[in-house]
Amino acid sequence: MLERLLSLFRIDTGKRDRNQGTTVFWIIAGTASTLLLMGWLLPWFVNDYSAGVGYSAQDALVSSPTGIGTFCIYVMAVAMVILVLSPIAEAIARARGSAFGKRADRIRFIAALVGLALTAVVWFLVSVIQEEPLFGAFTAGTYTDSAVWLEMYGFAMAALAYGARDWVVARQSVAFGVAALPFGIFLPLMFHQAPDFLLWAAGSLAIYMLLALGLNVVVGFAGLLDLGYAAFFAIGGYACASFASPIHNIHLPLWVLIFLGAAVASMFGAVLGAPTLRLRGDYLAIVTLGFGEIIPDLATNNVFNLTGGANGISGIDQPHYGALDFSTSPRWYYWSLLIVSIVVIVFLRNIERSRVGRAWVALREDEVAAAATGINTTTTKLLAFAIGASVSGLAGAFYGSIVSIVSPDDFSFSVSIAVLSIVVLGGIGNITGVILGSFILTFVIFWVLPNMNEWTTTLSTTVHVPALAGIDFSSYTFIIYGLALIAMMLLRPGGLLPSRARRIELESAEESESLAAVQGVA
Amino acid sequence: MTIQSGTPEAPLAPLGDSSGVAAPMLVDQRSLAPRRDQSNELVRSVGPVIRVAYGWISKHFAAVLLGMILVAILATFKQGGLDLMGQQLRNALVLGAIYALVAIGYTMVYGIIELINFAHGDVFAAAGFYAVFIASTLHLDSLATGSFGGLLLALIIVFPLSMIAAGITGVVIEFVAYRRLRDSPRLAPLITAIGVSFLIEGIMLVIEGPDNVATNQADWITGTAFTIGGVSVAWTDIFVVGMALFLMFALGEFVRRTRLGKAMRSTAQDRTAALLCGININRTISATFFIGSALAAAAAVIYSINYGDLKWNLGFHLGIIAFTAAVLGGIGNIVGAGVGGFIIGLIYVFGGSIFGGEWSESLIFAVLVLILTFRPVGLFGVEVTTRA
Repeated sequence: MLERLLSLFRIDTGKRDRNQGTTVFWIIAGTASTLLLMGWLLPWFVNDYSAGVGYSAQDALVSSPTGIGTFCIYVMAVAMVILVLSPIAEAIARARGSAFGKRADRIRFIAALVGLALTAVVWFLVSVIQEEPLFGAFTAGTYTDSAVWLEMYGFAMAALAYGARDWVVARQSVAFGVAALPFGIFLPLMFHQAPDFLLWAAGSLAIYMLLALGLNVVVGFAGLLDLGYAAFFAIGGYACASFASPIHNIHLPLWVLIFLGAAVASMFGAVLGAPTLRLRGDYLAIVTLGFGEIIPDLATNNVFNLTGGANGISGIDQPHYGALDFSTSPRWYYWSLLIVSIVVIVFLRNIERSRVGRAWVALREDEVAAAATGINTTTTKLLAFAIGASVSGLAGAFYGSIVSIVSPDDFSFSVSIAVLSIVVLGGIGNITGVILGSFILTFVIFWVLPNMNEWTTTLSTTVHVPALAGIDFSSYTFIIYGLALIAMMLLRPGGLLPSRARRIELESAEESESLAAVQGVA
Repeated sequence: MTIQSGTPEAPLAPLGDSSGVAAPMLVDQRSLAPRRDQSNELVRSVGPVIRVAYGWISKHFAAVLLGMILVAILATFKQGGLDLMGQQLRNALVLGAIYALVAIGYTMVYGIIELINFAHGDVFAAAGFYAVFIASTLHLDSLATGSFGGLLLALIIVFPLSMIAAGITGVVIEFVAYRRLRDSPRLAPLITAIGVSFLIEGIMLVIEGPDNVATNQADWITGTAFTIGGVSVAWTDIFVVGMALFLMFALGEFVRRTRLGKAMRSTAQDRTAALLCGININRTISATFFIGSALAAAAAVIYSINYGDLKWNLGFHLGIIAFTAAVLGGIGNIVGAGVGGFIIGLIYVFGGSIFGGEWSESLIFAVLVLILTFRPVGLFGVEVTTRA
């Protein structure tokens, strides 16, 4: 049974045509279920009891159903239960080896469409008509429209997953983009009442996604393990802080700073990369780790009175372009970061497929052979370092501007490890995987864990378990990083979404293993 | 095997068609054409200078480093006289002894499976907490502070128990996290090692909390042994250095004389050949992890007796510093790691007294970068592992 369940997470090697993309299908289906549940439970989710779709529906259940709104919510509930439970049923059925037919897909597709339509009706009633009697016991509250957004998005994703299953399986990266991009664009609208969630989306999700994309160039494309990646993040952050704060009385606009941060960081990337070129594998890792510790140390010790010491630099400017006031809401940062991320993703995808990208792959697979084919290993490696660092510096500049204060603690080793965990979790060398990994890990580490304390405190007072209130969940981050790294390497070394090269490598691993056994080569 | 980086001096000449008959174009000829050196005039003229300087530094690295340490010691002498210099020398020896013991664990593991065991520093910290746990459950604190015989008994109890506990931890780590990845690409076990390190740190953070934990072991050994000039040498200092030297000597004899030691040496040299000679590789590697972790545990008990507190992330920086010591002595070389530990102790203390204590760690990291850049084989230049 366990073996079967584990095999769900292993890469199917034989049947490449259909099974290779099931990961993305399961991710979309699972996210749909999660969003539906989130929308339903939103009042609890954001720790406020002032109504939401689900909460009111439960109210409606105990009172008598009157009005169209309540009826819609009933039917939505049925659709939601189908869509939440059926993937679990399907996973169990598949684990036991029995088939789960096309008809189930069609039923779920219809359920998703019905749910989507009825959610739209509820939204119409809530925000356009705003007539209470329609709802019976249902009253719209602070979070109702967020809940409605979540429900709609959940139903839409479910419709995509079950309606176009074959397409999702065949074109996994495109399907992932189609599912994720609208979510990315509408996120600030969905959660406009929860500014701290927006701050998470801009300050954690988007920043760490950029960092992971940059590290993916160094670790994934070029195969150089960089453990001091936070150093370039720090350089970007401090570049932004120095040139847009009262500390040196220079105030440059943010759009200049992100280029400046990227340029300075990429310069440092090349400079720090140069002495380490001769090193390979683990020695490179430890040297970069050393650099990653030296840079925050320099900042802490306030070298040349530039960095403000252990307290860091505060009062960093937040841009203000006419009506666009970045200091009022994180959403403007979020959208600018979204645009920047898309540009970076397109850039990295293209460079991966260019001559340089192929040179990186050659270097990663066999340095001697790469040098023999005429690849200039020096410039190719330096380019990987520089490009990776520039993305990190760009993220650092944004980060400094968002939080408006940088201090050495923000750039500790745990940042490097968080980014590495994202890359390893998502899939080393695969951009789609890295994006997915940053969604998952930042959500768990920077949203769930910090809020877990509040949730459990509330829970402990309601169910009277005082032990729950005492747990500090944020101290579990290190355990999560550790487990993620170990589990991925042992169970699924290619990550959740392995890159194509990695997948082929893993496919042929069995052959070469037996070959190694015969030859006695370790 | 070393790798020559940079553009090949003589790239492949294009495939000539000397016969006059147009050869079938199997390969795009453009990609085979010699690539011109794209570096500019400045780089080309600076290049040889850098190469010569690089060669000189890497050749005389040991002399340069030791010379700088000597200068630092003399500067300290000038700063605070013989007293300060003596005190700092004592501090350096005590610190160096601890680094040396931890460094041996790194060097043994790297020597045998070519893996930087990132978790080693955290095994050190965990072993410190084991020792505290053992001492508190067996009520050893009052025993140790009561009389000399009691102290001896407490030490005899706490050292082996915590060493065994840490040794088992090391063996479990190897078994769970490294064994299955032994033949996979080298990045994989390295990432797992970082994962294990963070897992142990995280567990210690959850159990022990984020602050320094006092161990009550600082007053196990008290009093001043003797005073030379203005330098008072405490019994703890003698205990620390003596214990470390004893353990290192014992380990050296073990590796040199016993069958298991021989098996370890041959496994480190050539795993396949050792296997063919009938050596149980898995058991040998487990034994290496056990011994390395046990030495880290001894270092942790010594640390706790000397400094009196522990912290959840103590092993992280101490681990990197000890690893630097291992690299300095030539990774894979046990004697080298011991000597490297003491040298790093000197650099840490005297570097701190010159530049200020807040720079000590940065200085060590800089030394690490410099060694790996200029002299990856270590100070003594003995090429122990071929892949270093």
